[in-house]
Amino acid sequence: MIALDRVSKSYLVKGVHKQVLDEVSFTLPEGKNIALMGRNGAGKSTLLRLIAGTEMPSRGDILRHERVSWPMGFSGGFNGTMTGVENIRFVARLYGQPSEDVLERVEEFAELGASLDLPIATYSSGMKARLAFGLSLAIDFDTYLIDEITAVGDQRFKVKSRAALGKTVETSRVVMVSHSPSVVKDFCEVGVLLFEGQLYYYDQIDSLLADYRRFC
Amino acid sequence: MSGALVAQIRVIAALTLRESRMTFGTSHAGYLWAVIQPLLSISVLVAIFYVIGRQSPYGTSLALFFASGVLTLELFNRLSGTLLRAYVANRQLLYYPAIRETDALFARFMLVVLTYLVIFALFFGGLVVLGLAEMPRAPDMMVGAFAATAFLGLGVGSVHAMLMRVTPIWAHVETVIGRPLFFLSGVFYIPSQMPPEVVAVLRWNPVLHVIEWMREGYYPHYDSDVFDPFYPLAIALVLLALGLGSERMTRRWRAA
Repeated sequence: MIALDRVSKSYLVKGVHKQVLDEVSFTLPEGKNIALMGRNGAGKSTLLRLIAGTEMPSRGDILRHERVSWPMGFSGGFNGTMTGVENIRFVARLYGQPSEDVLERVEEFAELGASLDLPIATYSSGMKARLAFGLSLAIDFDTYLIDEITAVGDQRFKVKSRAALGKTVETSRVVMVSHSPSVVKDFCEVGVLLFEGQLYYYDQIDSLLADYRRFC
Repeated sequence: MSGALVAQIRVIAALTLRESRMTFGTSHAGYLWAVIQPLLSISVLVAIFYVIGRQSPYGTSLALFFASGVLTLELFNRLSGTLLRAYVANRQLLYYPAIRETDALFARFMLVVLTYLVIFALFFGGLVVLGLAEMPRAPDMMVGAFAATAFLGLGVGSVHAMLMRVTPIWAHVETVIGRPLFFLSGVFYIPSQMPPEVVAVLRWNPVLHVIEWMREGYYPHYDSDVFDPFYPLAIALVLLALGLGSERMTRRWRAA
């Protein structure tokens, strides 16, 4: 169960006050894949970080009674001086999963071959994205938080990551930030629109997309 | 609840391994160097005292006397200097929600403490095996002294780490605070033999107390007039409460 209880989040960026969430209470529907949409800069990524727990709300509480992933992004939280394998082992240990098992799954997915034994600093951004995506899916979570990641990489990788994601949504839940109507339709059953500090819930993707086109 | 504790121990263990990789590199030479370095500084001290023809301030072994002082001080200094950057150097780790910032602090603490356990064991064990020192009078008291030093280092380090977040200049302040400790902590003299006016000042230094603690544990009749175990422990407790408390209270306002 993931729920927001009277959550407010605001920033002060160079003297400018920015309110991302304003007293929002919301329980994420169980067992449904959720699309999260909104304008650029509305705070979708911030909301994902709040749900993940990498950032704390200014006020209010976030209840989290399940295994929630980190917000899966392009780059991952890799340490550049450590090799791919070392980074994978570290994350596997962090989440208490057998390193060899995780390593095998990432190797199979990311297709980085011998590069896995090189420091991450030598990777291209595409390689990093493949590693980040593969590693996220290799750890077992109840809910995966995905930030626009399907737009990454070459054609071959796009197809592959879509397929992997398709398998993931069968057994786990995803909360996905995306601007792409087709991606949202493919993977999500319900939607949430983040608009001017409030969350609006849609139990039909089509009505979410309609409002998204109208307001954003 | 116990599940959360197990998870946190797992996180700290993973971080400790990672820190060890960052600190020592992939080769064993890195770790070896960490062990050799304090041994070298003791050897230099012994050599200097030997050349100027000084006797050991206490007991027959110069090396033993210095080791009790230098190693204890080094454990404290290393903790203070390493924990200083625990928060500012580990921002990227916050990418993973499983990690709390204080986990990085505890991981660095674990790594330094484990390294110094090896150093202490090697050095004191080595001196005894080579016949350069007697067996310690009360090994359990030395363990207590080690733990108290580690605790004091953790307290000081937790405050340094927070202040480092306020301003990077704090790294220089930490160095300035740390430097005179070599002279103020009784590393190469016996505090009890100092004039009362000097002792009245020295006894405010908590590091001096943990070094006296270590020597009380090693030597049969050290009989320190200065040593008070509660003083360094109280300082450590207050600083740790301050360091961890301020971290907890400011968590909401800090941007990720």
